Amino acid sequence: MTNREAEQRLRDEAKSLLESAKVDYIVGFADGSLKFHTTPLITRNKDDVDHLVINPFMASNLAKFLTELEGRVGIVAKGCDSRSIVSLVQDNKVSREKVVIVGIPCRGMINLSKIEQLAGKESDEIDDITRQGDKVVVKLDGSEKEIPVKEVLFDHCLACELPTPKEYDLLIDEPIPATPDEEASQAKINKLEELSHHERWRFWQNEFSRCIRCYACRNVCPACYCQRCFVEEAEPQWILSIPKWQDNLIFQIIRNIHLAGRCTDCGECERACPVNIPLRSLSKEMYDLVGELFGFKSGMEIDAAPLLTHYELEEAEDFFR
Amino acid sequence: MAQDSEWEPKLVGFLCRWCSYAGADLAGTSRKKYPANIGIIKVPCSGRVDPLFILKALRLGFDGVLVSGCHPGECHYQTGNYRARRKIALTKKFLEYMGIDPRRLQASWISASEGGKFTEVTTQVTKELKEAGPNELFADDK
Amino acid sequence: MNQKISKKDISKLLDELGKEFKVFSPSRESGVTTFAEWDGRDSSFLEWYRNTVISPKAQLQPLYEKMFSFHKDKEGYHLELPPPTDKKLIFGIRPCDAKALTIIDKTFQDTYQDPYYLDKRKNTLLVGLGCTNPYDSCFCTSLGLSPTQSSDVDLMLTDIGDEFLIEAVTDRGMKLIKKTSYLKEVTKTDEAKAEEARRQASSKVTRRLDTKDLAKRLLSSFDDQDFWEKVSNKCISCGICTLLCPTCYCFDISDELVKKEGSRFRSGDSCAFPVYTKMPMENPRLEKWRRVRQKVCHKYEFYPMSFEVIACSGCGRCIRLCPVNWDITQILASLPVKVKA
Repeated sequence: MTNREAEQRLRDEAKSLLESAKVDYIVGFADGSLKFHTTPLITRNKDDVDHLVINPFMASNLAKFLTELEGRVGIVAKGCDSRSIVSLVQDNKVSREKVVIVGIPCRGMINLSKIEQLAGKESDEIDDITRQGDKVVVKLDGSEKEIPVKEVLFDHCLACELPTPKEYDLLIDEPIPATPDEEASQAKINKLEELSHHERWRFWQNEFSRCIRCYACRNVCPACYCQRCFVEEAEPQWILSIPKWQDNLIFQIIRNIHLAGRCTDCGECERACPVNIPLRSLSKEMYDLVGELFGFKSGMEIDAAPLLTHYELEEAEDFFR
Repeated sequence: MAQDSEWEPKLVGFLCRWCSYAGADLAGTSRKKYPANIGIIKVPCSGRVDPLFILKALRLGFDGVLVSGCHPGECHYQTGNYRARRKIALTKKFLEYMGIDPRRLQASWISASEGGKFTEVTTQVTKELKEAGPNELFADDK
Repeated sequence: MNQKISKKDISKLLDELGKEFKVFSPSRESGVTTFAEWDGRDSSFLEWYRNTVISPKAQLQPLYEKMFSFHKDKEGYHLELPPPTDKKLIFGIRPCDAKALTIIDKTFQDTYQDPYYLDKRKNTLLVGLGCTNPYDSCFCTSLGLSPTQSSDVDLMLTDIGDEFLIEAVTDRGMKLIKKTSYLKEVTKTDEAKAEEARRQASSKVTRRLDTKDLAKRLLSSFDDQDFWEKVSNKCISCGICTLLCPTCYCFDISDELVKKEGSRFRSGDSCAFPVYTKMPMENPRLEKWRRVRQKVCHKYEFYPMSFEVIACSGCGRCIRLCPVNWDITQILASLPVKVKA
């Protein structure tokens, strides 16, 4: 199926879901107002579905909106988004019956920052970016440059274990098999692991002195669904509400611990950060720890019990005296 | 790390009221000697210990944290300590990845009859914290 | 008479200014663009600088600042005030960001004279640098601004190739020119080049916002809950657009207490947060659409009502930094009510 055919099929399916009143909302992606950006499209109006698109810039994880919308929702989901949806179902935050998962097999999303770095220009100065198989063609000042796609995909896409949703109601297009390149995806984290404890702490101290506490990392995260986040508690006040690095760091450590077994490595926290903090180097570590210690992969099996409500009789004993 | 030989680490112990706290009590009533470095906070269950408590203690400048509860299979609430085990294991490994010396977060199972074990654990933990040196993680140096 | 300076001399100029002022210039640290203190690093920012992520507002209203410290001893309570304000110079501020400061001045010196902001403001000189390469998210021209000219700075620089043309906008700027080395007289050709650069830059700002009757249109759409729900549904209620906006000034106050000493801080706050204004009682805008409406109306309806100026200078940060590409110019263009002429 060509991309255009897939898009048309998506629009037709979305329209019929709304027309047959199987859903109250359609949540998908539309072209954004900036070049090479998409924007979430959340609508009840069947005429709007003609704006739905499928392209390599659908970075957002739309599962985030499921906990906000009332009624039945038809949601466009890449593999990682579907895992977030499954995780929300496991946590009883979303009822499976109220969601129609429109699966989109995904070959990875393009990270504009990586393109900008390679091109030496910001995205609005670039004329065109197109994906052609394993290459990405960047048009800039009248010339074309070919880049291997692996160099410009998001790090989390490189390690993707589920390009095609496992849990879905409709699947647009043929499934794509997983080809994770763990090593490439892990490059930043491996570098950190070579440092001493002291150097690593210094690294994070430095990174988090830039944090402005906009909470974009938390607010784009589908797994951060608490009604009231601990950072906003006033009695007791766990951390200061001002962006001091110490408190920024505690915020992020605790956020990651809270997300153990919920984080699906969708990479949204890092993408949303306006000050470039490598947040995925935290969330991926937690994701891996959960796998190593408890063999748990968030959002993979819809019948699995949530990580922290469950236990085995014998596990993790070596942490205890 | 250069330090004053007089320096003594300060340690917070979150002890479950059914086992470890009773174990500490027993150590006291049986006149066993354990380090005065530990300040004890009684919690209903080791499962109650939120990783936030641990970070808050370190932020306040304590040199280490000990979480202690009933042995697996002996939780007063059946499963609280199993849940604690998952949480504490993840926290410990994650803090280590962040760059926090793993000696600063310690955990143990101590039953109400193990006054001796309480003494041994606190002595050992205090010794390790002394080696780790003062907690300067959150000090403002910039 | 206007002056000019060679681009090669900018580093030397900043070194010289550094003797009298704390000089801030565009800097890129860990991939984030901001205004950082000039430390003699090279002037390569002239090559890449379009506008910064962290606006120079942060030099006047920092992300957080200590208001005072206090401690208690045997003799009682003691207060320590922050050290006196440094003389600062912001080099390279864009006309939009300079205008933004003029806009928020009105709030900080309205019924209450805010010493924290105003002390810094009075002691800060602004050296503007005209845009040659605006972003596709910029819309300053729709708000009556020029990307290359400004009445909100002390000195204004225009790129004329290998040199910058320098105009003194204020008396402070004029005084600064008189005592500065490395300047040369401009020729008629230079003036013509500057004129051409200004014309070109303005035509590069392509995003439009129709401000005609905007406050009236917002007023008549105020109760249209369906509209506000629709335009706010993709907002994630983060603080990027507000905290990084050069015309947003809301702050929160909090105390840090450790034993018998402590400090009072103020830090940026955002009307996008559900906990905004939580401290007196509750946030009256618990639903997301109310918060989005507040943000939009405050900038384009309430602020002009109070101060006769729109609280937006079209810098476009809210559009280009938004994780979901929420675009204020699209929202305003889609207001349901048209006011009859």
